[in-house]
Amino acid sequence: VTVTGETTDAPLWGVGSYHDGTRVVAWPISQAEMDRDLRAGARVVAELGIGPGGRVLHCSMLSEAGQFWPLVVGTMLAGAQLSCADATAGEAARVAMFLRRLPYDAVLGLTPALLDGLGELRVDPAELLAGVRVVGARPGAAARLREAGLAPHDLVLCGPALAVARAPGEPARVDTDEWELDTDGDTVVVTSRRPRTRRFARTPTGARGVVVDGALVPAA
Amino acid sequence: VTALPAADSVYFDAGAETMSRQELDALQWSLLEEMLPHAYEHAPLVRATWNAAGVTPRDVRSMDDLRERVPFVSKDAIRRFRDERGDPFGGLLAVPLEELTAVMSTSGTTGDPTLVPEQWGRGRGPAALARDFWGMGVRPGDHVSLVLFTFRGPTYGFVQGMGGVPLLFDFKPDEMRRLAEASLEYRPTGLYNFGSALIHAMAEACDAAGLDPTDVFASYRGVVFAGEPLGRRSRAVAEAWGVELFEHTGVGDAMYAFECSRHDGLHYWEDAVLVEALAPDGDAPVPDGERAELVATTLFNRVAPLVRYRSDDLVRISRERCACGRTHGRVWPIGRKGDEVVVAGRSVLPLDVWDAIEGVDACARGLFQVVRTAREADVLRLRVGYAPAWAARLGPVHDDVCGAVEAAVGVVPEVELVEDAALLRLGPPHKIPRVAAR
Repeated sequence: VTVTGETTDAPLWGVGSYHDGTRVVAWPISQAEMDRDLRAGARVVAELGIGPGGRVLHCSMLSEAGQFWPLVVGTMLAGAQLSCADATAGEAARVAMFLRRLPYDAVLGLTPALLDGLGELRVDPAELLAGVRVVGARPGAAARLREAGLAPHDLVLCGPALAVARAPGEPARVDTDEWELDTDGDTVVVTSRRPRTRRFARTPTGARGVVVDGALVPAA
Repeated sequence: VTALPAADSVYFDAGAETMSRQELDALQWSLLEEMLPHAYEHAPLVRATWNAAGVTPRDVRSMDDLRERVPFVSKDAIRRFRDERGDPFGGLLAVPLEELTAVMSTSGTTGDPTLVPEQWGRGRGPAALARDFWGMGVRPGDHVSLVLFTFRGPTYGFVQGMGGVPLLFDFKPDEMRRLAEASLEYRPTGLYNFGSALIHAMAEACDAAGLDPTDVFASYRGVVFAGEPLGRRSRAVAEAWGVELFEHTGVGDAMYAFECSRHDGLHYWEDAVLVEALAPDGDAPVPDGERAELVATTLFNRVAPLVRYRSDDLVRISRERCACGRTHGRVWPIGRKGDEVVVAGRSVLPLDVWDAIEGVDACARGLFQVVRTAREADVLRLRVGYAPAWAARLGPVHDDVCGAVEAAVGVVPEVELVEDAALLRLGPPHKIPRVAAR
């Protein structure tokens, strides 16, 4: 692995955040980094089969914009429409509202908290998501959705990188031009492969699982 | 504007922000001449409402015609149209569905969230937030802390558009430690959105981390609160840290208004919206400065055009030039018409009891609801939240709340005390419906 250095004077797109295994920390992202990530995000959206006329509901937090903005832009570039909701229990009503009022091709980023919120509202996720072709679920939510009879794609935040399975049951992949995943025990660590404002070198992410051929099989 | 103004410019868009009243009137009418036929032709609810009133765009040839002939639209009418016709956009969508970029939603604090269709990159209105943040002191190259939900989409774009760098945080109390640390590291100049729950959480986070809030906020030129009012107690906590607070309010999802550095009302941008102040119980215009219901007509939103939208918001407005030099109107929010309770002939709105409740130590977070079964009531019923540490002393808390409310509005309330957490579960996190039906 070639760990590249930090670039400290590039214009910033913004300051997002990532989880380093113990806490959430600030993550400065340059415009150049984001431009590269946007191109990768567009490829992910295309590989999920989302195109013109489609509609995607993104479930994420503002602090996760550094990881999710590439998918949001990718949705627009694909000619699909997008909607957004926080990935919290309190936003379950909004998620249910969107899915009842409009057809969606994909819902990306479902969390255990959102499923808890749907449960409090007595909304059956299997019924709510029955017509959604691509369900991207985070660790903890994916297993519950499988138990409910759905076939979610694994979607895992690996620190600054977002790993997305292109099909149900497949490992979740990051943009390998930018990131390399490995494990330290069963904890996923991440390394940046190109110049970034903040350098990552086997940085813990809090994600758990096994890395196979650079892709992540998340822990159950 | 096509380029960013000089850093020492008082205004982001001086030409637009200080244009004369005559120029504003002329601009509004020219925009309405485009908007009204578009809304009638393409928005099913607008067309149905106008047809029922026997009005077409050809009948509206002046601002007077608009005021005298064009029928109103209300939130209830939009929801009714949505439910009766199965139209998810409530009859407001005025462009082909396939041309939308995004479908976002309202907060849903007062009921079901409603869909907000958007078409990015086309027919954009004035750079309202950039004008407001510039006026607050934010400049290109500055960092700006955003503490927000995502349901309105990537709101950080306006910061990037004015050459700033957004620092991104979730709208959650447990983000305050991180906000404090990032503020010390990046020295941002603006913060949006910092309401009562977050102010108290910041105080606790700084206390726990051994940080001095005065130092944390030293770089900020302005801190914005939005979504609901800020009580006197919470305001005092933030101001003691040296924070200059600015209020930002949405009015009936139809328009926005933002306090300027003079803190004498909230400016609404009249090149984005036509505002009318009408009698709350009728259609007659109300003079500036008097209590009125705000009625709004969009001048730029061709995607979902609201025309003469009765917002249910009680306000005072002024069209006098502000001491800041801007000519656009100002609004002073009073409350929502549907929230008013009349007890023994006295009108009571949530804002009237806010400071009184928040002033009781156990209720410092200002979490409360007016229980309203009808506009007229024999008793003022309040549901008031308390911090768990006070659970063993609820008798005195109850008496203090009753006494404070009576002193504020002259009515002895019937008070139900519940834990803060029980109220926080009722609405979008950290912002709750201020009126409950039971």
